[in-house]
Amino acid sequence: MSILEDSKTRVNESRAARMKEERALLSPEDKDALIRKFHPDYKKEAYRTIQIGPNQGEQTVHELANLLEGKSPIASEAVSLSPQHQVDLLIIGGGGAGATAALTAKAAGANVLLATKLRLGDSNTVMAEGGMQVAVSAEDSPVRHFLDSLRGGYMKNDPALLKTLVEEGPEVAKWLMDIGVLFDREADGNLSIRGGGGSSKPRLLRCKDYTGLELMRVLKDCVLNEQVELLEFSPIVELLTDGEGACTGAVLKNLDNNQFIVVQAKAVILATGGIGRLHIQGFPTSNHYGATADGLPIAYRAGAKLTLQDTFQYHPTGAVYPEPMAGILVTEAIRSVGAQLVNVKGERFINEMETRDAVASAVIRECAEGRGVETSAGRRGVWLDMPMVDIVNAEGTLAHRFPNMVRQFSRYQIDIQKEPVLVYPTLHYQNGGIQINVDGESTVRNLFVAGEASGGIHGRNRLMGNSLLDIIVYGRRAGRAASKRATEIALGKLTLAHLDQFREAQKKAGVESKTVSPMLFPDYVKKN
Amino acid sequence: MSHSDSQSSLIRIEVDGAEHPVPEGITVIQAMWHLGRPTIHGVGCLGGVCGACPITYRLPDQPASKTGLACQTAVREGMAITFIPSDSSKKAIALLPKEAPTQKTLFQYYPETRRCTACRACTSVCPQEIDVMGGVRAAINGELATVAEKFTTCVMCGLCAAVCEVQIKPHRVGMYARRLTGAFYPKEATSLLHRIEEVRSGKYDAEWRELLSGDLSALAHDRVM
Repeated sequence: MSILEDSKTRVNESRAARMKEERALLSPEDKDALIRKFHPDYKKEAYRTIQIGPNQGEQTVHELANLLEGKSPIASEAVSLSPQHQVDLLIIGGGGAGATAALTAKAAGANVLLATKLRLGDSNTVMAEGGMQVAVSAEDSPVRHFLDSLRGGYMKNDPALLKTLVEEGPEVAKWLMDIGVLFDREADGNLSIRGGGGSSKPRLLRCKDYTGLELMRVLKDCVLNEQVELLEFSPIVELLTDGEGACTGAVLKNLDNNQFIVVQAKAVILATGGIGRLHIQGFPTSNHYGATADGLPIAYRAGAKLTLQDTFQYHPTGAVYPEPMAGILVTEAIRSVGAQLVNVKGERFINEMETRDAVASAVIRECAEGRGVETSAGRRGVWLDMPMVDIVNAEGTLAHRFPNMVRQFSRYQIDIQKEPVLVYPTLHYQNGGIQINVDGESTVRNLFVAGEASGGIHGRNRLMGNSLLDIIVYGRRAGRAASKRATEIALGKLTLAHLDQFREAQKKAGVESKTVSPMLFPDYVKKN
Repeated sequence: MSHSDSQSSLIRIEVDGAEHPVPEGITVIQAMWHLGRPTIHGVGCLGGVCGACPITYRLPDQPASKTGLACQTAVREGMAITFIPSDSSKKAIALLPKEAPTQKTLFQYYPETRRCTACRACTSVCPQEIDVMGGVRAAINGELATVAEKFTTCVMCGLCAAVCEVQIKPHRVGMYARRLTGAFYPKEATSLLHRIEEVRSGKYDAEWRELLSGDLSALAHDRVM
C-alpha cells in the first residue's frame, strides 16, 4: 500500500474518535504566535520596501512592489490622446463590482461604458462558492457582523467603510433578490443561512456552492438587458489625468488588434479585482486567469494611495491533488458543516472554524513539521475529511449542497462522498488595495474603486462571505457617487502628465524597472 | 506554472489536425500553454464555472465526439481537440415583468422553446450534466420552479444552444426562469424585511454611537462565539 493510501486509511480509522473530540478555539496569544510563525504575511524575505510613489517607504511583497514601480506600456509621446469614446462614466472590470456599478450608474441616468479584459462576467466573483454575509436572523445584528469582521481583520479595518458594508447588507440582499437572484430558502420563505469561520452567528446567504456564479449570471443578464455599452477583451493599460491630479479617462488596449483605445470620461471606476495570478511567494491560486492586480500599478502611477498592501489571504483549503486541480478552492462551507482537517497520522490539529489565517497557518505548520502528505507531483498537504459531512448531517448532504465540489473531483474519479481530499493553502484574496472613502473614491479626484481592488474594508484578514457583500455594496456606492459627480463637472483635459512625474520619481530614486505593468496575464505559455 | 514536465511521461494529442507531445495529467488549457499557444479567447476562470472554454474532442477508441470545458478536461493519449467559441454577450433583451409571471411570460421572449423535438442533443453536450432537455420540457409545461432548479449549476457556456436543431437557447431559458423564480418567490423572506426596517428606523443608532465613540481596540480579544 502506498504512503498516500496508508495515510488515507488512518483518516478513515480515526474518524469515529475524532467526531467526538471537542476542540476549543485558540487563545488570542496562541493564535497570534501561530500566525506570526507560519503565516506567509510574516515571511520577511518575501517583502521589500516600496521606493517611490504614494506609499514610498512602506512594505509589500516583491511581486507587487515590482509592478507598482514598473514601466508603463505607453510612451507618452507615441500615443495620440484624441478620444475614441467620450462618456460620463468609464467602468473598468466586468466582475460583480463593475457590473453592479454599471447597473446603478445606468439607473441614475449616466452614460456608461464598461470595459473589461476578457468577457463580461469573467472574474473572481463567478468563482465565489461559500456565500454572502448579511445579518438577517433575529439573534444577529449588523453591529455583531461589524464586530466579527473587525476582529477577523485584526482591528485594522476602516470603521466607516465596514459600518457601511454591514449596514447596507440587508438592503443589498433585497436588491439582488428583486433582480432575480435565487438564494437558498427555508420552507417558511426565509433566507437559508449558515456559519463561517470567525463569525459568531450564521449569516451566510448562498446558492448551494455556486453563490458567485448565481450573482454573476444575474448581474450579467441585467447589464446586457440594460444595453450598457461594452468593450470586451479591452483591458486598461493606463489612466489619463488633467495634469492637476484629477482623473479624466483611460487608455485601453484592444487585445484582438493591439491598438490603444482612448476614452475620455468625467469619472472612472476601477473594478479590476484581485491579485492571485501573481503567485505571491510561489503559492498556487484559486483566482481567475485575469487576476493580475492591473488596477493597482495603474492607480498608483496616477497618484492613488494604497492601504494594507502588505497583507493577503491564503485560503486554507486549496486542492493539492489531482494535479490539474492544484489551487482550486474547496469551499470553507464544507468545514462549517463538519468536515475536519487531519494530518498524515490521522489526527486533527486545529478547530476548523478559526479564521482563515489561523487555519492556513496551522496547515502550513503541519506540513513544515513533517506531518503533511506528499503527492507524486511533489506537493504537500493535509487531509480534509469530506465523508464526515454526510455522516454528521445526512446522507446526500454533499451531493445536494456542494454539487460543484462533487462534480469537480468526480471528473478525476475522486468520490468526495467516500474519500478525503488533500488540501494546502492557496492564494485567494488581496486584503488591502487602493484606499477609498465611503463613496468609493480614491485619493485621486474622480477616480473611484470598487471590489477587491480597493482596500480598508477587510483589515488584515477578510471573513468568508464579506467579499460578495463588498462588491455589491461598494459597486452600488461607487456607481451612485460617480454618476452624481458626472452631473457636476465637464469632461477634463487628457494628459499623461502623471506618467512623466512618475518617471522623474523613478529616475530620482534610482529605480530602474524592467517590469512592464499592468501584467494583464500570467506568463504560463512555454517559450519554444 | 503549476504543472511540471519532468515527472510525467509524454502522450500525444491532436490540435487542429497536427499531433503534439504533451505531459500526461495536465488539462487541455495547460496543454495549450505547453505547446506555446497563448490563450485569450477560450480561457476564463480556470475553475470550471465561467463557461469560457468549451471544447469538443474525440478519443481514439470512441467514434463519437465528446464535449467539455478545457480547464476541466485532462488530456488523454490520442485525444483530438477543437475549441468552440464561447457564448456571445449579445442576447435578446428579456426583462422581468411587473406582475407575477404566467406560463406565457417566458414564451414572450423565447417563443422557439415550444419547438423542442426532444432530440436530447442539448443534454448530451452539457459539461455540467444538467438535464437540459428536461428543463426545456418543464419550461414548455410552464413549470418555472422546476426549470430554475434544473439550471442551478449552469455555467452559460452555450453548448446546448449551439447544438439545438430548432434554435432554442436552453441556457437563456434557464437563466430567465431562474430570475423569474427568484424575483417572484412565492414566500417572503420576512426576517430580511424586518431587519431592513430595523436599520431604517434607527434601531441600532444608539449602539453604533456608543461603539464608535469608544476605543475600538479594547474589543480586540473579546471573543464572543
